[in-house]
Amino acid sequence: MSPLSQAIVSGMISGTIYVLLATGLIIAFQTTRIVNLAHGETYSIAGLVTAAVAHAGLPVALAITVGIASAVVYSVAIERALLRPRANWPVSSLILISLAAAFLSRGVLLVVFGPDAASFKRIFAGAPFRVAGGIIPQQGFWLVIIGLAAALVTAQLLTRTRIGKQLRATAENADAAQLLGVNVDAARMISFALAGLLGGLSAVLLVPLISVDYQAGLGMTLRGFIAASLAGMSPFGAIFGGLALGLAEALVTTYFGALAQDPIIFIVLIAVALWQSRHVQFGGSVRA
Amino acid sequence: MTRKSVLIAAVALLLVITPPTGLIPGWTPALATNVALTALALVGLNIIFGVAGMLAFGQAAFMVVPAYFAGVLERAGFSSGPAIVIGLVVGVLLARGLAELFVRLPGVYLAFGTLGFGFVVEGLARAFPAWTGGASGLVFSAGRAIGQEVWYVLAIVALFIGLAGYVLLMRGAMWRRLRTIKHDELVAWAVGIDVTRAKVSAFTIGCFYACVAGTLLCYYVGVVVPEDAGAQKSLSQIGMVIMGGPALALGPVVGASLVAWLFFAAGYGGHYESLVYGVAFLSAVLYTKNGLLGLLPQSWFDATPVKRLTATDDAESAAPSADPTRIGVCLRVQDVGKRFQGLVALEDVSFDVAAGEVFALVGPNGAGKSTLFNVICGIIEPTTGRVAVAGRDLAALPIHRRAPLIGRAFQVARLVPDLTAAENVMVRIDNITPDLSETERRMAALRQLKAFDLLQHADQPVSTLSIGQHKLIDLARAAAGDPVLVLLDEPAVGLTESELVHLQEVIRKLQRRGIAVVIVEHNIDFVSSVASRGLVLDSGRPVATGTMRDILADTRVQKIYFGALA
Repeated sequence: MSPLSQAIVSGMISGTIYVLLATGLIIAFQTTRIVNLAHGETYSIAGLVTAAVAHAGLPVALAITVGIASAVVYSVAIERALLRPRANWPVSSLILISLAAAFLSRGVLLVVFGPDAASFKRIFAGAPFRVAGGIIPQQGFWLVIIGLAAALVTAQLLTRTRIGKQLRATAENADAAQLLGVNVDAARMISFALAGLLGGLSAVLLVPLISVDYQAGLGMTLRGFIAASLAGMSPFGAIFGGLALGLAEALVTTYFGALAQDPIIFIVLIAVALWQSRHVQFGGSVRA
Repeated sequence: MTRKSVLIAAVALLLVITPPTGLIPGWTPALATNVALTALALVGLNIIFGVAGMLAFGQAAFMVVPAYFAGVLERAGFSSGPAIVIGLVVGVLLARGLAELFVRLPGVYLAFGTLGFGFVVEGLARAFPAWTGGASGLVFSAGRAIGQEVWYVLAIVALFIGLAGYVLLMRGAMWRRLRTIKHDELVAWAVGIDVTRAKVSAFTIGCFYACVAGTLLCYYVGVVVPEDAGAQKSLSQIGMVIMGGPALALGPVVGASLVAWLFFAAGYGGHYESLVYGVAFLSAVLYTKNGLLGLLPQSWFDATPVKRLTATDDAESAAPSADPTRIGVCLRVQDVGKRFQGLVALEDVSFDVAAGEVFALVGPNGAGKSTLFNVICGIIEPTTGRVAVAGRDLAALPIHRRAPLIGRAFQVARLVPDLTAAENVMVRIDNITPDLSETERRMAALRQLKAFDLLQHADQPVSTLSIGQHKLIDLARAAAGDPVLVLLDEPAVGLTESELVHLQEVIRKLQRRGIAVVIVEHNIDFVSSVASRGLVLDSGRPVATGTMRDILADTRVQKIYFGALA
């Protein structure tokens, strides 16, 4: 077994998850200009709900459906109940609201599901594939395929279709979009539902491999945001941003040890943040 | 003693007296010591986040860095005293260095950048267990030599000094500057604030608090673990500031006490801490403007009542006298052009404006008038050509250095809502004539407001005033500190008939002071009544220039401006 191949395999798996999370963050950002810090909670909610339903003895397919649905409902509820009524608040206040929502969600998850990590049976069981000296479990293989396909379809939807254009017009200027006949409320709801769907999907794909607990959300939001900012907040870029982040993490872990992962990744984050914001002048308030 | 300091004294007294009495269950001296030191760090975060509005999520990391340094040095054989001092110096220097990077990050990028710093510190603490003790933490034994009572007194005294420092620093020009930056960075630059410098100082001061408080806390607790630096801690600290009352001196004390006690109360029945914390945090963000303290009557926090200076005497003499040095050409725009990626926004624009002249820029929407204003102010760099004010080429001057020469009133008045009318005007005076004392600056602002008939509103927060009054205050601010040139962007929009007459008088006053005025305005009747000459722009190109009568008579202008009607 070659360490390089194995690093690439695990990097592709975590990278795909980051792609999905980044895409969800980007959709919400592109329609509302809000970086939704509660986005990662869709991952922990879907994971914990699916595991709980599966443990109750119901079929995995049903558990997965319920799990993803709960993430979608959660994401839409955040938009509908917390963010939309305050659309005219400054963006930084809305980001803080999403942060508070993330903390509250984590508290609820702890009370409901307890502190223990949970998981459920693999959907794609069977002997792992061997590729170029690396071992990839079938679940991991399908995770990469399904995850990347979902991200690609979403990116297409956002950039190439009429709905996607309407979603983005909403962010540029909500009032103007409204005047042009875009249903702004519907656009926001669709984008948060889509984000929730991708967050839920990432959980049901990954949790059979790596168990989830109530406090996984914030870490997922962070990773998703790094991937999204590497991508310059573009939906197609997210695919590269997420995979690059996953591979970098895996390679650092393999060659420098797991402890080096956080410092190196976040030094990259700080560098990327500086690079991405180099053209933002006057705190982003240039419109005079 | 002011009301604020009485309030602070009362709260501190409460903190000192409560623990031994056992009046509040769970409020032991140990918890109170912990809360006081946490609150001290939060006073710093309150400066960074509450006052200056920076979303900094790394306060916890700055708390542990000096402690880790001190601890490592102690292991290497240093005695505690020098180790602590070196640790603090390193911590503050690191904060100062990182501030240079961080303050350049807007909004959410700053949030993630600072969070990232927390992860780096946490990761490094784990990665070098031989020095840092790894996951089980670094132990400090020096703190045990002091008893709980002494620690408690020490913590309260430190908190007191910290609060006094906050009250002394966060007032006057510094307060106005940071509030303006929080509200609107572009305006902050335009009124002459070096926003980057101001943010670096605020960030460094805030981190200094974190360094001192963190070191004390680690020595008190006796151990520091990697999680102490982490995102979880920093994020919940932001929550505490919000819950207590951002930008209020006592907000951090209230926030830290509230959270500590909630945790204690929720800790009985199992896993309810996070839930209770989440509910408190979310309610604070959603339903209170200024946290728990903000729910108290506003009058409790009213700033020290300023001695009511009667501006009447000076005002009469100061207002109309024209500056004799103000003669000749004030503004010279020469062949200015601007392209945005191939799109021509301005091309070959040239004109002069003399002292005491009102010059109109006319043209349909998208003609390039605002772009031209932005070029003159220094917000946009022109692709070609040059702009000179009072004979001085502006090319090398960054936006805030142009403020003494140029005042700008915005299309939609951009004032800081929680400052008073006088304070909004003083922000500009602070930066243009920094030698004046606080009282002199206030006098200057009052004189300026008097000239604009706004004196009676001087001490009202501008959020309580009307749109028309906002526009006039914005204009008063633009003309404060006697700039050579004042730019007015659609000053007549949204004004009533009587306010228009007032505006006309005000512009005449500026003229008499020898100020050159450039005005962008769609209300042709109004423009013709105040301006003597003008320039017509269409799609970024000059169409006609000359006296107002001439350019309005020009058929090309009529066609552009009045369309098919003419």
